[in-house]
Formats: sequence, C-alpha cells, structure tokens
Amino acid sequence: MALYEYSWLILLSPIFAFAVILFGTRMWDLATRGRIAAKAAHETEAHVGHDGHGEPDGPDELIHEKGPRGEDVVFEDWEDPKVPQLTMGAKVSGYLSVIIMALACIYSWILLLNTAGLISVAPQLPTQGISLSQISYPWCQNIDATNNCFGLGSYVIAFHLDRLTIPMLVVVTSITLLVQFYSQGYMERSAGYARFFAYLSLFAFSMLTIVFAANFLVIFIGWELVGLSSYLLIGFWFNKKSKPAEDRLSPASASVEAFIVNRVGDVGFIIGIMILFVNTGTFNFSQLPAAVTHMDKTLLTVAMILVFCGAIGKSAQVPLHVWLPPAMEGPTPVSALIHAATMVAAGVYMVGRTWFIFAAADPLAFQVVAWIGGISAIFAAVIALVQTDFKRVLAFSTISQLGYMFVGMGIAAGTAYGPGLGLFHLFTHAFFKALLFLCAGSVLFALHHATHKETQDMRVMGGLGPLMPITAIAWLVGTLSIGGFPFFDSFFSKDNIIAEAYRTGNYGLWAVTLITAGLTSFYMFRAFILAFGGKGGRLGGMWGGTYRGKIYRIAGLEEGNQDKTYLVEMSPEEKEHIKVPHESPLVMTIPLIILMIPSIFAGDWFNFYPYIQAGAPALTVRDVLDDWLTWVGLAVSLIGFTWAFVLYARFEFASVHDYVENRAFLRTAHRILLHKFYVDDLYNWIIKYIVLGLSHIAQAFDTYVVDGIVNGVARLITVLGRDVRHVETGRVQTYMIGFFGGVAVLAILVFALVAFVK
Amino acid sequence: MGLSLNHFLVLGALLFCIGLYGAIAKHNAIAVLMGIEIMLNAVNITMVGFAFYNTVKPWSTFLTGQIFAIFIITVAAAEAAVALAMIISIYRKRNTVDVGEINLMKW
Repeated sequence: MALYEYSWLILLSPIFAFAVILFGTRMWDLATRGRIAAKAAHETEAHVGHDGHGEPDGPDELIHEKGPRGEDVVFEDWEDPKVPQLTMGAKVSGYLSVIIMALACIYSWILLLNTAGLISVAPQLPTQGISLSQISYPWCQNIDATNNCFGLGSYVIAFHLDRLTIPMLVVVTSITLLVQFYSQGYMERSAGYARFFAYLSLFAFSMLTIVFAANFLVIFIGWELVGLSSYLLIGFWFNKKSKPAEDRLSPASASVEAFIVNRVGDVGFIIGIMILFVNTGTFNFSQLPAAVTHMDKTLLTVAMILVFCGAIGKSAQVPLHVWLPPAMEGPTPVSALIHAATMVAAGVYMVGRTWFIFAAADPLAFQVVAWIGGISAIFAAVIALVQTDFKRVLAFSTISQLGYMFVGMGIAAGTAYGPGLGLFHLFTHAFFKALLFLCAGSVLFALHHATHKETQDMRVMGGLGPLMPITAIAWLVGTLSIGGFPFFDSFFSKDNIIAEAYRTGNYGLWAVTLITAGLTSFYMFRAFILAFGGKGGRLGGMWGGTYRGKIYRIAGLEEGNQDKTYLVEMSPEEKEHIKVPHESPLVMTIPLIILMIPSIFAGDWFNFYPYIQAGAPALTVRDVLDDWLTWVGLAVSLIGFTWAFVLYARFEFASVHDYVENRAFLRTAHRILLHKFYVDDLYNWIIKYIVLGLSHIAQAFDTYVVDGIVNGVARLITVLGRDVRHVETGRVQTYMIGFFGGVAVLAILVFALVAFVK
Repeated sequence: MGLSLNHFLVLGALLFCIGLYGAIAKHNAIAVLMGIEIMLNAVNITMVGFAFYNTVKPWSTFLTGQIFAIFIITVAAAEAAVALAMIISIYRKRNTVDVGEINLMKW
C-alpha cells in the first residue's frame, strides 16, 4: 500500500520544480544573460564576412528592411525574440523539469502496470480507491459533534487515488515529459526559456490537482489554475503582433480570449456546484452520488447541466469553442500539451468523475452532454475541411474529438460502461493528438529555419515527406490513428463510441458521429498530402501540380484581409534566400518516435472498460470484427481517406480550387466554413455592441448619476455659499431692512391670529 | 366728526414709515439720524394718543403715555448725541459720512 500512499509525490513534484525554477535557476539565467549576450556578440563580429556571400550574415533575430526613404533599417524581431545562446541557468531549468517529470512519469507507469495486473510490486488498489491526504478546514465557528457546519459539511482539501485517476496520471505525466523534452529543442533560442519550463511545471501541477481531486472544491482550484497556466503559456511571446491577413490574433489577445471564455463556462460550473452543495451539504465525489438521491430531480438536472457548462468552456465545445483556434498562437509544445492532450481533457475527466451524479439525474442531463458533444464534433469537422493553417486544422480536430468523448460519456447512460466509454477515447486521443501537434511543431521549426518567416499556411508546403521522413511517418501514424484505420487507436476507441451510439438507440448521434468520422479522416489526410506529399527536393507546392516542384508564397498580406490573399510563384531572387528544410534535431524527433508507439498500441488495452468500471464489457477483437457497425464505421473513414487522396493527390490543387470558386453554392459554402460559420464575428459583435454597450451605459450612469450626486452635493454647497453670502452686505441699512421686515411679518401674524381666533 | 384714537395711530404709523424710509434709503449718516428721530417722534405721537384716549381703569393710567413720551424724548436726545459722536469719529477715520461706504463686514 505504500506504493499508493506516496503518490502525492507525483502531485507535488511539478510545483517543486516550478518553485525551484522560478526562484532559483531563472534568477541565475537572468543574472548571466548579459554576460553571455556580450560574449556571443563578440563572437559574431569575429565571423563577419565568412559565410560566402560577401556580406556579414547577421543573427536571425535582426530584420533588415527598407525604410520609408529607401534607407536600410535594421531592428530586432520582436515577433520571436531570441537569445544568441542559452545560459546555463536556462538549460538547467529545462533539465530540472524534465528529470522531475520523468520520475513522476515512471511512478505513474508503475502504478498503472501494477493496478492493471501486469507487474506485481504491491497489493491491488481497493475499488473505491484510497484517500491520499485530507486537510480539513472547518470554516465555520459553530461546529457540532459530528464536525458539521450548521448541518452542512465542512470544507476539505482532499486528494484521492483510484482506478479513474491512474490512466489520467499516466497520460498527463507522459505527455508532459515528452513535451518538456521536445521543448528543449523547439524553444532552443527563445528568450523566455526558463520561464517556459516554469510555466509548464505549473501547468502539470494544476492538471494533476484536477486529476487527484476528491471533491469539487479542489477540482475547481485546479480548474482555475490550468486556466491561468493556459493564459500564461498562450501569451508566452507577448510582444508578437497580430496578423489579420492570416486571421491570426496576437498571442496576448488570444490568451485573454482563452481565459475569459473559460471563465464564462465557469460561471455555470460554480452555480452548479453551489446548488449541489446547498442541497446535499457535501462537495465530495464519493459521497455525492448517494446524497443527491434525496434532492429534487429537476433541480439536480439543472445543477448537472450547469456543471457541464464548465466542461463546455474548458473543453472548447460549441458554443464556447472560440478560444481554441486562437490559442494556437502559443508555442507548439504548449498546443500539444494543453490544447490537445490534457487541459481540454479536464472537462471530459470532470464529467467522468461526476458520471454517477449525472446518472442519478434525469436522462436529459446525459442527453445534453451527448448532443453538445455531437454538435461540436460535426461543427468543428466541417470547419476543418477548408482551413489552410496547419495548426488550425489540428485545433478544430481537437474540438471534434472532444465532442466524441462527450458523446461517449452521454450515451453510456444506462449501460454497464460507466465513464469508461468516453475516457478510453480520451486516453488514446491524448497520445495521437500530442504526436500530431509535435509533428506540426517540427514542420514549423524546419520551415522557419528555411524561409526565415513564420509560415503556417499549408498551401506553400508540399514535398516535405522525403525531406523530413521521421516527421512525415509520425504524422501519417497520427492521421491513421485519428481516422480510425483498422487496428490503430481510434479503431477501438472512437469506432466503439460510434457503434455504441447505435446500440443504445441514439440513431441521431450515430449518424452525426459517423459522418464526422468520414470528415475527420478526410481533412487529416488532406493536411498530410498538402504538407508532405509531392516530390521532394525544394518545397513543391501542390498548386502547380504534383511533380512540378514550383515554390509559392502567400501574397496580398498587406491588405489585412484573409479573403484577399492569394498564391504567387516566387521569383528567382526570392528563391535564392530560401534554404532547403531538413529534419528536426534529435531532441525533437525522439519524442515523436516514442509517441508513435502509444498512438498505435494504446487502443490495444482491451481491458480498459472493466479496469475503470467493474462489470463493463471488455473489448475483444472478435466482437469488434463480428459487429456490422464496425464495418460501417470503417467504410466511412476509408471513404474519407480515399476521397482526400483522390482530390489532392491525383488532381491539382489549382483545379480543385477553381472548381470550388466557379460554383456559387460551393464558393459560399467555402467562405462560410473558412470564416468558421462567422461565430467569431458574432461574438465580436456581441461583445463590441452589447457587452461594451452595456458597459458604456454603466459608465455613463457612474459618471453622470453617481458622480453627479456626489459632485452635485458639493456644487450645491458651493452655490449656496457663493450666492447666499451676498446677504452680508456689511451695511447697517440692509440689516435694518431685515429687522423691520421681520417686525412687519410678526405684526401681520399677530393681527391675523387675533382676528381669526376672535 | 371728531378726532379718535385711530387718527393718532394712523399718523404715528405714517410718520414711522416715513422715518423708516429715511433711515433705510438715505446715504448720508445725518439723514439716517434724522429718519431715526422721525421714527421716535412717531412713537411719541402714538403714546400720547393712547394716553389721551385711555378708557381703562384705574383712571390714573392716563398719564402713562405722557410719561413714556418724556422718556422717549430723553433717550432720543442721548442717543442722538452718541450717534453724532460716532459719525464724527468715523468721518475722522474714513473721511466720508456715506453709510454705504461703511461695509467692512461685507462677505
């Protein structure tokens, strides 16, 4: 049992790393930076003129341009501030976080293997799990004998380890480890290296808080902390500007959007938690399913739907999905870790944790969960069909796959699966999505080095397959995994969700998820062909045909409008400045290779369902192959793959593009999808006119009414003083007027009284 | 038609108002003093009128008004002397007898 009792070390190790990096190694890094920069500048000057071009080759971070009068202007690239060389402090930050996460990862794997029965170093975990530590804060003054606070339970910070936690632990620690390892290469010359690893460790701690949480309070603490880490990490390059021509926000705006949209979901979350607490007196996940049976069922359903609102915000489901595509402005390892594998999965995990509370409510709660998941799945999938930005396709793919997980959670109502159906897809998805994102990062890293520009548009990629073989194979493995190719991951996890939708009678959801599966394989394979397909050598864009090898660049960017960009072939002078992209360094490709293994084999954990929920049916290959539903799902995804191949590898991209442009229906459909159904524009409009309008009204109220009253009182006093003082003329005669006037008034009064009294 | 108390009272009131106007509206300090004297004399007339037309027992009260009038004359004289002394003092300091100018207590 000691094995389980020390698992709080997994939770606390990243925050230890965070503290050490933030207050130790980063300070060291900052202190030595000046010295290193001076040394590097000195070395660069010594190498002036040695690169064969006959002119000094400046460091990458300087931009040489022509000023308004034609003069040469040189300035630093604030887009992507680089340091010439990493200091020791920064490197040690990286090593420290990797080592600590490696230890946590090994521990998690030991826990997993032990509880799954594959190794045996400790006795089995009891079914209800063990409670790791409990810090009880009785926040009320009057506590009765049973430690209750006026009949309500006291507030407890409690952590819990059970069979639901352990797969998540493995996912979080493994992927964090691989991402941190990868970032050592990706963030190699970035300015905030140590800060990056500090934030990654903070994120790991926050996510583990969510995973280990035993009650709603602790999960909410972790919930907000991951939101904070996401904000810090998306806005990591905070000086970067927005690129409206590519429909990209600045990272600072994107991070604010992510945080605020998350908070919108959290409003519902908090209200739901409060309703549950007030009616049952406990926050604890183990006690709630029994306690809520005494609640009014409608109120419970409302509360659970509100709790699900938090998951909608955190896991980027429709209508709160708008933050995830702009969140791609963060560094790619961040996108891999947070916005693919872990943070967005927190919503799914929370629904899994509270699954039995959902089960105690009206079936409507589960239907809401499932349908919102289904709608998000197909919504995001159709948008991803036309996106040209490499990472944006993956972002929408994430939204879509998270929708699948919620469908899995929702349709398992009444079956023996429990939360396992959706959680299996979470487990497999984390691996292949992280793989896909890390490959994307590898591609972007290579292209940035080759073209000295940040190129994320797939239309100018092409032919990278032979140039970057490991990345290409990894991406292909990821694509096959996500598309449900036979015996890869999604074949077991996602296709089972689709089949189960049919078996439980949710035919609408079955149709939606089936169509989405076809769309998923289509757009993922399309991305693969556009980026990696074509003959090697120089970048061969697909625009000019499969094997022509022309190089294109995006033009029309200065208009600032996404619809007005177009492709133009590069002139020979421009081609001179482009280098051939090559494979990323080993520190980046090793995580890709390692991640390929679970991307293929994670689906083979057939006992996942009984592991999570005792009594659930285990997957068997025989059952899967016998079921006609599997073949239908397989057929749909293979159709998707084939259609993408036919469209993009056999035909020229130009002819496909022209075909769409020439037909009004297809053209309008393309525009609507490219603008993401105009949801972003709708939200911007709402915020600009309604929210800000209301705030302007409130501000006007504050300025004119509230301040008006306060200032008005002061002004009244001033006026009274200024105007009434004129009574004091200082002349005796004026006073005499007052005196005798008063006498006259009194006399009249006396006469009147006497006359009327008589 | 004979004289009645009312005639005396109305005369007194009229004279009082005339005197009041003079005391208030005149700028020259001496004129203000003259107005005050008029006011005092108006009161005197009222007092004498009350004395003459007295019908209240005991009958000895018919002298009250007369004695009151003598007192008023005395006090008026004393007060005029003091007021003139004040005016002379102000004139020595301010070189003016315009009461409109004496407004140091102005706001």
